[in-house]
Amino acid sequence: MITYSIEELHELFKNKKINPIDYYDELFNEVDFQQERLNAFVTITKDKAYMDLEDASFNDLLSGIPFVLKDNYNTKGILTTASSKMLADYVPIYNATVVDLLKDAHTCLIGKASMDELAMGGTNKSALTGPVFNPWDLSRIAGGSSGGSAAVVASGLVPFALGSDTGDSIRKPAGYCGIVGFKPTWGRISRYGIIPYASSLDTVGAFTRNVRDMCIVMEAISGRDDRDMTSSNREVPHYLNDLTDDISNYKIAILTSVSDEIRNKDIQANFEYVINTFKQLGAIVNNVTIPIELMRSILPTYTIIANSEATSNHACLDGIKYGNRQDGATVDEVMINSRSDGFGDHIKRRFILGNLAISSENQERMFRKAQKVRRLIVEAMNKIYQDYDIILTPNCGSIAPKLNEANDDRLSDEYIILENHLCLGNFAGTPSISLPSGFVDGMPIAVNIMGRLFEEQTVLNCAYALEKALGFANQYSREG
Amino acid sequence: MQFEQVIGLEVHCELKTKSKMFSASPVTFGEEVNTMVNEIDMGMTGTMPVLNKRAVEYAIRVCHVLHMDIDELLCFDRKNYYYADLPKGFQITQNQRPIGRNGYLDIEVNEQKKRIEIERLHMEEDTCKQFHLDDFSLLDYNRAGIPLIEIVTKPMIRSGKQAALYLEKLRQILLYTDVSDAKMEEGSMRCDVNISIRPYGSIQFGTRTEIKNLNSISNVRKAIEYEALRQEKVLIQGGKVLQETRRYDENLKETIVMRAKGDAVDYKYYNEPNILPIRLDHQWVMQIKDELPMLADERIDKYINEYGITSTDAHILVTSKEISDFYEETIHYCQEYQLVCHWLLGDVQAYLNKVNLTINETKLTPQYLGKLITFIQNGTISSKQAKKVFEEIMDSGKDPEIIIKEKGLKQISDPNTLISIINEVLDQNSQSVNDYKSGKDRAVGYLIGQIMKKTKGQANPKQTNQLLMKLLKERISDK
Repeated sequence: MITYSIEELHELFKNKKINPIDYYDELFNEVDFQQERLNAFVTITKDKAYMDLEDASFNDLLSGIPFVLKDNYNTKGILTTASSKMLADYVPIYNATVVDLLKDAHTCLIGKASMDELAMGGTNKSALTGPVFNPWDLSRIAGGSSGGSAAVVASGLVPFALGSDTGDSIRKPAGYCGIVGFKPTWGRISRYGIIPYASSLDTVGAFTRNVRDMCIVMEAISGRDDRDMTSSNREVPHYLNDLTDDISNYKIAILTSVSDEIRNKDIQANFEYVINTFKQLGAIVNNVTIPIELMRSILPTYTIIANSEATSNHACLDGIKYGNRQDGATVDEVMINSRSDGFGDHIKRRFILGNLAISSENQERMFRKAQKVRRLIVEAMNKIYQDYDIILTPNCGSIAPKLNEANDDRLSDEYIILENHLCLGNFAGTPSISLPSGFVDGMPIAVNIMGRLFEEQTVLNCAYALEKALGFANQYSREG
Repeated sequence: MQFEQVIGLEVHCELKTKSKMFSASPVTFGEEVNTMVNEIDMGMTGTMPVLNKRAVEYAIRVCHVLHMDIDELLCFDRKNYYYADLPKGFQITQNQRPIGRNGYLDIEVNEQKKRIEIERLHMEEDTCKQFHLDDFSLLDYNRAGIPLIEIVTKPMIRSGKQAALYLEKLRQILLYTDVSDAKMEEGSMRCDVNISIRPYGSIQFGTRTEIKNLNSISNVRKAIEYEALRQEKVLIQGGKVLQETRRYDENLKETIVMRAKGDAVDYKYYNEPNILPIRLDHQWVMQIKDELPMLADERIDKYINEYGITSTDAHILVTSKEISDFYEETIHYCQEYQLVCHWLLGDVQAYLNKVNLTINETKLTPQYLGKLITFIQNGTISSKQAKKVFEEIMDSGKDPEIIIKEKGLKQISDPNTLISIINEVLDQNSQSVNDYKSGKDRAVGYLIGQIMKKTKGQANPKQTNQLLMKLLKERISDK
């Protein structure tokens, strides 16, 4: 009875084809099963879901629809850990703006999903509750940092989940799990109440199993929020209503600086198949490049900016007001002990790096330089957008890695470029969607479609046309 | 050797906006601890700042008065450091681009104008208030996030007295622009002093110390005077002044080391990513200038030139903005400019001193005071009666008109009524009339007393006097 899309479930509820209570009873049986299998939840909010259900009229698309939040969304009265020991007991006193918006839409929160600690990571292995397993192959990672949200949607449990994306934290796991992951324009959705990573890159986004559902979710959570000064006043379009698969004459740029680095023959073939599909759909497709020095600088630029902002964003976690507290003889000792105990080693390394980059003696040649390089990269992208509506790349160079696999060779361009290029969308703040494009060795692979600032509709249309042509909508993996 | 003092002042001032710098919690003073607080003030993870437009307006007001260049691209930075009173682990401030630069304030030192140049004025948020007890500290987040402006002078103040004059003048500006309560004793205005000394004629600066925790203008002056002497002694004895932060101990009347500058913190300032640079509307910035409230000096000019008040009185009137505001409102009701001034500086001030209240804390309103003075002026009541009415206003808060009616205090000013009363008294006291005739002026006083007794003090004294003399003279010439 589960695994429906938003639209399907809505029809079933509205026309009383299924009893909502029965549906949720079965859903929570399945939640227990999938939790055992995937370890994707930090908290299961069963009681709250049934309470939310009482308010649902089922008249609107999202009314009564179950969903999951990444555990870095502040939820009033509900444990919010960001998968960190530092916040293991943290129960917020306020809701993130999007949490309120989804409440107003009468959706039903069924749980909070595991993530890399404080959203820093790409494997979900650093979560306090342990790794999340890929629904398609339990020996593989779901990806990160929004791994729990991705796995839950890919297992068919809920039609959508929210994640957050600072470098590729929605789009990468979406690709590994064979579902749709979308990060809209920076400023399109309020960030108020999301435990931050790096404010200038952080973006709220979602996972769904098809593009139409993504339109529905985006419409519900987008818009100006007076609590987030960086949120845009632009009116929110009717993404679903305006959605079309007619993309003839869309100008698509293949960023060969990325695709040339593909070493896996099957992924290579799949990407070429996608290009041909777009041509058949009537799009105008051409190759473009970004200078290799800029491509190679994406990772260091990202590392410096993200960790510099993160170090002050997380300075509030000092053990004084809330969160993990370890005693000490002085205030300084309390802070030092609390933070030493509360954060994982990789987090501390990132804080040290961030502090190094913004210290006054290094700031000019590290942090400010990184900001300058970011601008150069964005300029190179804008140059492409002068002639093209869309930039198309493979999502990454491999299927989801095995949990116990060592890190990739970090000095090859295959890793440096092909595993990090999705940051381009965060640098420029532009909309970027990843969607499944095929299977390699039984595992899903994906491509990524990016567009101009606030041109969500163009990106969604393009993804919709591809989704229809390829036929990978609504896939999930419940067992195995 | 003669030493010259080189002093720069950093003044922090809390703005009296309705809500905080970056959150919607109210700005208050003296409320129950940790009640005027939301998740933003507590630095809860995930919260974001929303800039208070009114705070920007207030900062711009002060910039205009201090003749500053206003940066119309508004930028904020994070100042990163760990401290118990700092909820977010960083303070949002303006480091790179303060809203105001290159201003000045003129003070009068020994009847000579001295221009104090001001380097910068920037906006930031206050930290929470700490209460240190024996083995623990308490934090009050009500103060966290209250808007602050910091005003930094160039090091061109040369004495404790000059520093005090500058602070008094600055305080007056903060009060008259209506941006702050500017109470040093309550911490809504705070001053840090940077001071060094050098031989006269020297261009180089000596090593400076910083003095913090000064809770009154007079303590600023005392601290500077002590510290300059201390540094002088160190140098004369061949020692070196150490760069350090000191505090002024009121009881010892000394500055005491708090920490050495060696452990200086790197604040790692960088741009606040959650507030993108804001382009201010130039029209708006200029409109704030046009709508500046009238400052003390302008009020003094108006009082002297338009209202005919003496320079001394005008200066005294503006020393308290509350009194000056009260004055301006009272003269809407009663255009007796001098009389209103004398009442405020005389009876009203005496009363305030006695009960230790400010004028707005009493039951007196400008309308009541205006009425009271009008009643004196048109002869309805005597000055002596007015004092009684005033006391009654302060006690009961009643309208003077009602008090006069209730107490039957109305003065008898009708000449015919007075004449018949006087004649009655004269008829009953022929001996006194005779005494007057034989040149005993004392008799007049006695007769007035009798008239007042008969009228229960309600006879208009001036008229009574005139009429009595007239009637007495008539009686003498009759006989």
